[in-house]
Amino acid sequence: MQMPEPSQAILSQRDALAQGLRKIVGKDWVISDDAQRRPYQCDGITAYMAMPLLVVLPGCAEEVQAVLRFCHEKGVKIVPRGSGTSLSGGALPLEDGVLLVTSRLCNVLAVDEHNRVARVQPGVPNIKITEAVSHLGLCYMPDPSSQLISTIGGNVAENAGGVHCLKYGVTANHILGIQAVLMTGEMVELGGAYLGAAEGELDLMGVLTGSEGLLAVVTEIAVRLEPVPEVARVISMSFPSVEEACACVGAIIGAGIIPAGLEFMDRKVLDAVSVLIKEKFDDRTAALLLCELDGTAVEVDALVGVVSDVARGQGAIEIKVSTTEEERQRIWSSRKLAFSAIGKLCPDYYCTDGTIPRNKLPEVLNKMADMSRKYGLDYANCFHAGDGNLHPIIMYDAAKPGDLEKAEEFGADVLIACVDAGGVLSGEHGIGVEKRDLMTHQFTEIDLQQQQMVKCAFDPKDLLNPGKMFPTLCRCAEFGRMHVHNGNLRFADIPRF
Amino acid sequence: MTDTQTIAAMRPASTQDVADILMDAARKGEPLAVRGNGTRTGLGNPVRATRVLELGGLNAIDFYDPDDLVIRAGVGVTLDEVEQLLAQKGQYLPFEPPRYAGLYGTDSARCTLGGAVATALSGPRRILTGAARDFVLGVEGVNGQGDVFKAGGRTMKNVTGYDLSKLVTGSNGTLAALTTVTIKVLPAPRAEVTLVLPATSVEEDVALFARMRALPLGIGGLARRVNAAGVCEVLVRVEGSVPGVAGNQQILNSLLATRGPMQVLEQAESQSLWAGVRELTCLHARPDELVWRVNLPATTMPAFVEQARKAGCINRFFVDWAGGVVFSTMRGVQPEVDTLRYRKMAEQAGARATILRAPDAVLTQFGAFPPVSAGVAALAARTRAAFDPAGILNPGRMTVQA
Repeated sequence: MQMPEPSQAILSQRDALAQGLRKIVGKDWVISDDAQRRPYQCDGITAYMAMPLLVVLPGCAEEVQAVLRFCHEKGVKIVPRGSGTSLSGGALPLEDGVLLVTSRLCNVLAVDEHNRVARVQPGVPNIKITEAVSHLGLCYMPDPSSQLISTIGGNVAENAGGVHCLKYGVTANHILGIQAVLMTGEMVELGGAYLGAAEGELDLMGVLTGSEGLLAVVTEIAVRLEPVPEVARVISMSFPSVEEACACVGAIIGAGIIPAGLEFMDRKVLDAVSVLIKEKFDDRTAALLLCELDGTAVEVDALVGVVSDVARGQGAIEIKVSTTEEERQRIWSSRKLAFSAIGKLCPDYYCTDGTIPRNKLPEVLNKMADMSRKYGLDYANCFHAGDGNLHPIIMYDAAKPGDLEKAEEFGADVLIACVDAGGVLSGEHGIGVEKRDLMTHQFTEIDLQQQQMVKCAFDPKDLLNPGKMFPTLCRCAEFGRMHVHNGNLRFADIPRF
Repeated sequence: MTDTQTIAAMRPASTQDVADILMDAARKGEPLAVRGNGTRTGLGNPVRATRVLELGGLNAIDFYDPDDLVIRAGVGVTLDEVEQLLAQKGQYLPFEPPRYAGLYGTDSARCTLGGAVATALSGPRRILTGAARDFVLGVEGVNGQGDVFKAGGRTMKNVTGYDLSKLVTGSNGTLAALTTVTIKVLPAPRAEVTLVLPATSVEEDVALFARMRALPLGIGGLARRVNAAGVCEVLVRVEGSVPGVAGNQQILNSLLATRGPMQVLEQAESQSLWAGVRELTCLHARPDELVWRVNLPATTMPAFVEQARKAGCINRFFVDWAGGVVFSTMRGVQPEVDTLRYRKMAEQAGARATILRAPDAVLTQFGAFPPVSAGVAALAARTRAAFDPAGILNPGRMTVQA
């Protein structure tokens, strides 16, 4: 994985830049010494590391504006970062870039119970929003598994998903307003703190959400709050084959039911988990589905009956339904512990998140078995089956020379298979640096150019998080010239990292 | 400006034809009025164009995969056709797209899926299921240079690249001539009932909406309107499984017991009632009246409505989205003066006031869509230029010339 060459001119100005930034945020909030910068070298993907030029922690939106304005003037790149849980390297620092960390912007600013909106700063951990409103019987629905740590600003940048997004939608569906700062330091307010606040304007908020910190730095977010469902029950269904489990996923949705969550675990995951939860799974089980249903008690009871019937019709061996909250938590614990259980089986693992049409699940899962043989690496499957969002866990040993590269190639092959099956490279983790070079497999040059033209509209100097998402740097000036030539020379050889 | 209603339209039948037309127009710098079948050209500002590009001929359904909750179709497929197809599998378009054909005096049967995406209009169910923008999974379109591009995909979750699908949704044909759209669909609720109650004051009714919305009861519609007999009433739509709706209705019965006599409308009756809300027929707008939509926090709505009525800016109105949107008529006597005053009031209330129907002169002067800050306007202009540098796609539709 290659990143743009750091600028020697910028590296040589490090001390002066640190001094300038300290004038803006105060001396304690610019980190320049090696020991203190080191924890910021990577995000959730530890395989990729870089020492940031400086780490800056602004304390308010105005300071964010001033930092960006300052860096814009000096031509210094910015990498925004929340808690650094990105699984695609979205917050990977640049050696010649300032890492702008939102940890100090961590307040829930206002809760509007009647209009069911909370205004929050970007550094607020996802879970804190729900905690701040739970006494009102409300919650913030999107629940990425990193929600204890990952920030709402990061969730907006990545358009984070989670277990419940099949029924309740992803981050973008829960954002009503955004205050953001462009690279020039200019602040824009999009939408507002009520449903429909963005009606009749170009959906710039929609394109900012999921833009992986390449378009603007978000400084405030208005999120929708929802009433907490009265009851949730989970059904655990085991199947003698992966195919039958996959068919059951389609059958449940085909029966007109949108579960709150629908998760898939293969036998390898179950074996790994069973040690931790001290529970044995039936020997005949090849795959297990967890289906959560929520709503009012009457509604949920009715749906539990329907789903159980569907599962039996699809060949389920065993069907367990939670009757108490305690049981529900216990059944879910197998899924929640899945990744750490696999972590105990191997020194390292690598997980991607390609997403496919649900009916292609068996086809793509079979291809994965072939790839595993090809690369000689073991893998396990544990994923959001309801929305076809795969999470293949590829096991490797970083200490073995060549193993990481093999794991990466295996992962890339899976993603290519996803795209070839009509799917996409990423369902929720984002492109970042991890999947950047695969973008040309999903998109044509024109598709990518259209996206990069949008980047130019927001950040023509390409200073915000460059080197992420696109396999080539933005060439805003050249794009402009291309219009004059009206399409000629559009596909001249493009330098790639 | 030429009256685009009277120009013969180009009606390409393929994406490539659309690309050829746009490439040619871009070369000549010739502005185009882009539309589906032209049933809603009254929404937005009059377009400054010399030719008309109608996309209604792109009317093939590429695929519909009910088990995967997804349909991909040409933008020219009619909403009626899509909804009938989905209904055969017990599914629907969750954002309940309004046609507004009655409002514009056009043929509802010709309203297209592409038009639903381009206008991003969402119906009463918005409070429960979401807006049009929430269900657009992917698009293919042609930008202002004649380049065919695609964005998004067909999967339920997708964070691959910028979400250009959202950006073009609601861009009213100013970023691209869309050719196909991929839409997430959902199983339609098996049961629906509507409880009809006598209205009280706007304040009390909005407070009641908030109390009901605080409960997780699957309420897919909360409106307040004047019925055909001139009686003001509150409408509560409950949706879900058959036992679920029955259970939720009981909970609501006890909550609403003190509210006076309640009427219960089942399935077909309920559906036809909400079609009237969705299509604004319950506004009874006269042909000479302007029609407005004001989005605002439900809590500030009652004071806003009272002020605007006193000032004569609201003649008739009804409330949807649990109080979060007001649809109103304005007398056409002094539309410029009243428009300016109404917009001002909306701005002070932190609301967004969109003109859904008005004489061209009013739209051209004030703009159908509410003004945004200079910074957002500039960013929007740069974003438009990223798709359409020569400004040939529906110029002026969303913005007013300074």
